[in-house]
Amino acid sequence: MTASPSHLDLLEAESIHIFREAAAQFRKPVLLYSIGKDSTVLLHLARKAFFPAPIPFPLLHIDTTWKFRDMIAFRDRTAKQFDLELIVYVNEEGLKRGINPIDHAPSIHTDVLKTQALKQALDKYGFDAAFGGARRDEEASRAKERIFSFRAAGHRWDPRRQRPEMWHLLNGRLGTGETVRVFPMSNWTEKDVWRYILREKLEVVPLYFAADRPTIVRNGQILMQDDARLQPKDGEKVEIRKIRFRTLGDYPLTAAVESDADTIEAVVAETLNAQTSERQGRLIDHDQAGAMEKKKQEGYF
Amino acid sequence: MSVHALQRAEPAATPATAPSLIPSLVRELGGITHLLTCGSVDDGKSTLIGRMLWDASDLYEDQRENVRRSGRKAAGTDLPDFSMLLDGLVAEREQGITIDIAWKYFDTAKRRFVIIDSPGHEQYTRNMASGASHADVAIVLVDARAGVKKQTKRHAAILDLVGVKHVVLAVNKMDLVGWSEDVFRKIEADFRTLCWKFNFWEATAIPLSAVFGDNVATPSRNMDWYSGPTLIEHLEKVPSRASEAGSVFRFPVQTVLRDGGDFRGLAGTVTSGSVSVGDLVVDALSGASGRIIRIATMDGDLQTASAGQAVALQLDVDIDISRGAVLSAREMRPVAAQTVEARFVWLSENAFNPTTGYLLRTATDLIPISNIEIKALLDLETMASRPSRGCATNDIAIAKISLGRAAAIDVFTEIPETGTLLLVDSISGATVAGGVATAVDAKAEEPVDGHFVLKRDMLANGLNRDLSMSSKDREEFMRRANEVAIILRAAGVSVAIEPPPPLDDGMDPGL
Repeated sequence: MTASPSHLDLLEAESIHIFREAAAQFRKPVLLYSIGKDSTVLLHLARKAFFPAPIPFPLLHIDTTWKFRDMIAFRDRTAKQFDLELIVYVNEEGLKRGINPIDHAPSIHTDVLKTQALKQALDKYGFDAAFGGARRDEEASRAKERIFSFRAAGHRWDPRRQRPEMWHLLNGRLGTGETVRVFPMSNWTEKDVWRYILREKLEVVPLYFAADRPTIVRNGQILMQDDARLQPKDGEKVEIRKIRFRTLGDYPLTAAVESDADTIEAVVAETLNAQTSERQGRLIDHDQAGAMEKKKQEGYF
Repeated sequence: MSVHALQRAEPAATPATAPSLIPSLVRELGGITHLLTCGSVDDGKSTLIGRMLWDASDLYEDQRENVRRSGRKAAGTDLPDFSMLLDGLVAEREQGITIDIAWKYFDTAKRRFVIIDSPGHEQYTRNMASGASHADVAIVLVDARAGVKKQTKRHAAILDLVGVKHVVLAVNKMDLVGWSEDVFRKIEADFRTLCWKFNFWEATAIPLSAVFGDNVATPSRNMDWYSGPTLIEHLEKVPSRASEAGSVFRFPVQTVLRDGGDFRGLAGTVTSGSVSVGDLVVDALSGASGRIIRIATMDGDLQTASAGQAVALQLDVDIDISRGAVLSAREMRPVAAQTVEARFVWLSENAFNPTTGYLLRTATDLIPISNIEIKALLDLETMASRPSRGCATNDIAIAKISLGRAAAIDVFTEIPETGTLLLVDSISGATVAGGVATAVDAKAEEPVDGHFVLKRDMLANGLNRDLSMSSKDREEFMRRANEVAIILRAAGVSVAIEPPPPLDDGMDPGL
């Protein structure tokens, strides 16, 4: 141990502490795995928290069926590599209603295939605690979020029921019908996530690296044509561009940036020099004012 | 506003402390400083935080551009209104959270800073105490025209209560007193007098102007008489609480890890002191001891683990230690407390109710309480206590707690990390109060009408007959015993749980 640990050492130790507190206090936790860089770090921290024992809870992926194909391949490879119990949940009823991100407003698609699906999955399996990779630096409405974020029955986030957190004491005693979202990476920043990926040599989805990909420009945003479901409209055409993604989600809702950064070092350099904060790449956040606030109240992460 | 001030140039657009373009990609900062800001809007709190972000942090260019383009000016000046960098954080989105603390992160070239901001106006005792419990250092902001006020005293008292050791008095708006050294020295002297009453290790006063940036990140050219550090320089040198943790070893066990083979590791974070392979460690509650044979992490085994490190300890003997235990050296153990005296900040909207079942949360233990007696309330301005049997939101209560069973607790002023407590409502689960242990006693307080003792035989025969002697089932045994104690307590019965049998009873603890 060096005399003074770096800020990443401290953040890592805090996250491990949180994972262990939650695993010890809750009956049936689950790790919400969304495949992106934050989930990659979250999973790595979970492995560290319980090493040399296996992670004592499953992973849950809410699959909207619109994720990039590279994401699904990465997910399945990761589960196999670390011998993880992976639950994939799809809101089949929402699919039957034909909800999709191309014909419907992003907010409707997200609500049905993501928010509702998450609630259905948590109820179906009876999870009382769900780990997520959310960070307080992401957005103003998250700046006040707790590490243990309590949800009333029906998964509603009620500001009045949030518990004060003092020192390192995490009170996980649940009231009737309550569940909890646990955020071990609350105090990380976007830059920390990338620095940590580089330091720990973590593998991430290849979509974070620049490559020639088929794209369509729509509403000033570069979208990737990941499969035939996304077709150019009148006046649009499919063009090959060298692009990468700063965040990953449903491919028709995730804007790319043009970039030459095709190595992890180049991506980190580009991120650390970035002129804009990350959520500009996520179209669902622009859909309505205060969108994240509203989604949180409804039970989205 | 003096003419001198108005003519003063805006500090350089690229301040000395601005991070350069990635010296190395994995720039690991030399630690984290958690910073609480205390003061009201009138003292210029938002402007000061905004100025720190503008001058010393790694703001994104779009955030800077927003400020420039807005055209909003700091009152009475032609300078940008830096307080708008906090919009959406403090003023805009009052979500009605009971305790409202916003967390904001920024990096200087050397440090990660975490700004813990709580609204100063209302409910401030519990907000501030809650925020201050995370702080390594607090900036107490005063207006140079007003100096040290009653409120400053309340702030200092709350900081001291929750264990903040480093305090900076930011004497703001020096431009409005003509950059006067006399004014500053007077305020500095008042502040020193005030700080004598408390347990701070370091209290520093810095004269500054948040609007003009003097002594925030850039040395002032208007106050040649001041030769001390700028606010940022000073904050970059403040050690974190973890690095200042004492040398007495404590390790609250969070959970037990098993790899399916021989490994049985006690997982936790070293909260103070350090531990090395070969050390003998003791569980204060059972008296069981063992020698460390392995300190495991996924990055390889360690020889020594120090305060702040999260590890898994393997012992040479398979003793029955589980969550809630606190490991220590054989000497200097925590007290196996049956009675605790504590100071609590009452956080809940609901006043203390003697018939509510409360639980005591320590580092990793949750203990049924057989009785709480509120003795007095503390006046933060005079530090005098007045007798009281009850307490409500924002009160600081002095209480005596009788525990339903023993728990490992330290006195906060001696070993802070294992001397902090929460009071939990056993039915709703809500955290109703946060506090610090001021005295611990291994002797049980004898209630007038005696305890009802929950005997282990009694519990084993019916309620727990489905349980084996495995350590997992022993944890379940204790959980059920706790819950029975809570129910009896709610029915008005003073109750205690019979302690576990000594370890040499011939039972197999490891199964």
